[in-house]
Amino acid sequence: MMDSVLQAWVAFFKPLGLNYSFVMDPGELSAFGHGLLVTLQLCAWTIPVSLVFGVLIAAALTSGRPWLARPLQAFVEVTRNTPTLVQLYCAFLVLNMLITQKLGGGNPITPFAWVVIVVALHKGVFHAEALRAGIEAVPTVTMEAARSLAFSRRQILTQVQLPLAVRFALPALVNNLVDLVKMTAIASAIAVGDVTYESIMIWSHRDNVLELLLLILLYFGLLTWLVSVGGRWLEERLRMPGYGQ
Amino acid sequence: MANDLVLNAGRARPQATLPALLSAVLRDPWFVLLLALVALGVGWAVTGTTPAAVQALWHWSPALLRGLGVNIQISVLAMALGTIAGLVVGALSLSPSRVLRRLTRAYVLLFRNAPILVLVYFTTYVFPFELNLGGWNLPFPDWIKVVIGLGLPASANVAEIFRGAIQSIPSAQWEAAQSLAFRRTQIFRMIVLPQCVRRMLPSWMNLYASITMSTSLASLVGVHDLVDTATVASNTVARSDFTILVYFTLLALFFAYCYPIARWTRYLERRHEHH
Repeated sequence: MMDSVLQAWVAFFKPLGLNYSFVMDPGELSAFGHGLLVTLQLCAWTIPVSLVFGVLIAAALTSGRPWLARPLQAFVEVTRNTPTLVQLYCAFLVLNMLITQKLGGGNPITPFAWVVIVVALHKGVFHAEALRAGIEAVPTVTMEAARSLAFSRRQILTQVQLPLAVRFALPALVNNLVDLVKMTAIASAIAVGDVTYESIMIWSHRDNVLELLLLILLYFGLLTWLVSVGGRWLEERLRMPGYGQ
Repeated sequence: MANDLVLNAGRARPQATLPALLSAVLRDPWFVLLLALVALGVGWAVTGTTPAAVQALWHWSPALLRGLGVNIQISVLAMALGTIAGLVVGALSLSPSRVLRRLTRAYVLLFRNAPILVLVYFTTYVFPFELNLGGWNLPFPDWIKVVIGLGLPASANVAEIFRGAIQSIPSAQWEAAQSLAFRRTQIFRMIVLPQCVRRMLPSWMNLYASITMSTSLASLVGVHDLVDTATVASNTVARSDFTILVYFTLLALFFAYCYPIARWTRYLERRHEHH
């Protein structure tokens, strides 16, 4: 059944000049499928981790404590103004090397984890900027009201400021997440085995670059579309009368 | 209100005096950090106690700067290509023809939602390595393919920036100008476009900075850029302290190029808010 579907697939694209015969090779097909899965896993890990980083960075930046906010501000500037690939190299080739030297071999952090950490921190900075704008958009009257009702600082943050700020920041956050999905492609630079890396492995001896790239573009198109649909659903769900449109 | 923008465009800005400029620069922590590093380097050179890794970095610095030059060259050309193509696509996306609008929409969606790395692979491996133009065989080097690979997403973004800027001009201005007997091309050239340029500039600069950072991907398709040079240097010297130094120098070089652009962008955005 599966075989005949694949055969039909290959036969359908043959006249168009696209050679998808790699799907008939079980080894290459499973490698490609594994790549699809790894990219999905990267997104599934990076999205929540980046959001956590974003909330933490935004909270620190708006905490009003200079010893916390100043170094983080510097970190934000460096992260925003340097390429993610170079950050990944600094983390994977430098920090990873140092950790390995220190521990003498048994390094618990895999390349996959480094990609999650670097991309999540990078996008976390952008989430933080969006959240900060959202936090600043919370009306001061609301804050004063909360303070007059004897909410503590932490309560104001978690129960008043953040719920409102998230709603204000949601469109920007979804935009960042779409960017994040696209950014996971750099995992191929350190051989994590995502869809881009597995495709490079396949096309380097089959010479079917165009065919695979079309599949990759389609796959990323699907993922980014899913994220934006999810974002719109969330916006719809969280909509509060009187706030936003 | 919007007319003020046009009127103010030619207004002279107050000139900063040299001491004021100096103190402003000295208050910037990044500049102070740079000064401290230079002082440290001079101190090492004078006392002859420069660490071996720093000496190796000094030895490799011309190659690294040449690599940065390649990155800047790619970014400038990609941005030029992206701006020209983007303005055309953006203009077409405002056309009355529905087919054209659909097509430009698809173009923008495709190139904004594709990972830039995948586009770079696309142009590098799908395009031929030689162009055959009527008997002439023109070489088609990888770095030009990277320019195209970065120019495509840039053009999609410029198209969106342009469309947003045009649509942010209140339609009342068109009507007012029409009532003053301006022709359509005149309105566009003398009223709409000057305001659009000012509105587009911050986003355009943001895009340039992001394209510059994306040029680091060129190293993955074998272009000898800054990142590639750093990798070669790190493998050649093969000292772990040099590896640390060279990769953080890489970070610092990109930062030194992109951060002033970001600062200037923010300044322009703030100035725009006043109006």
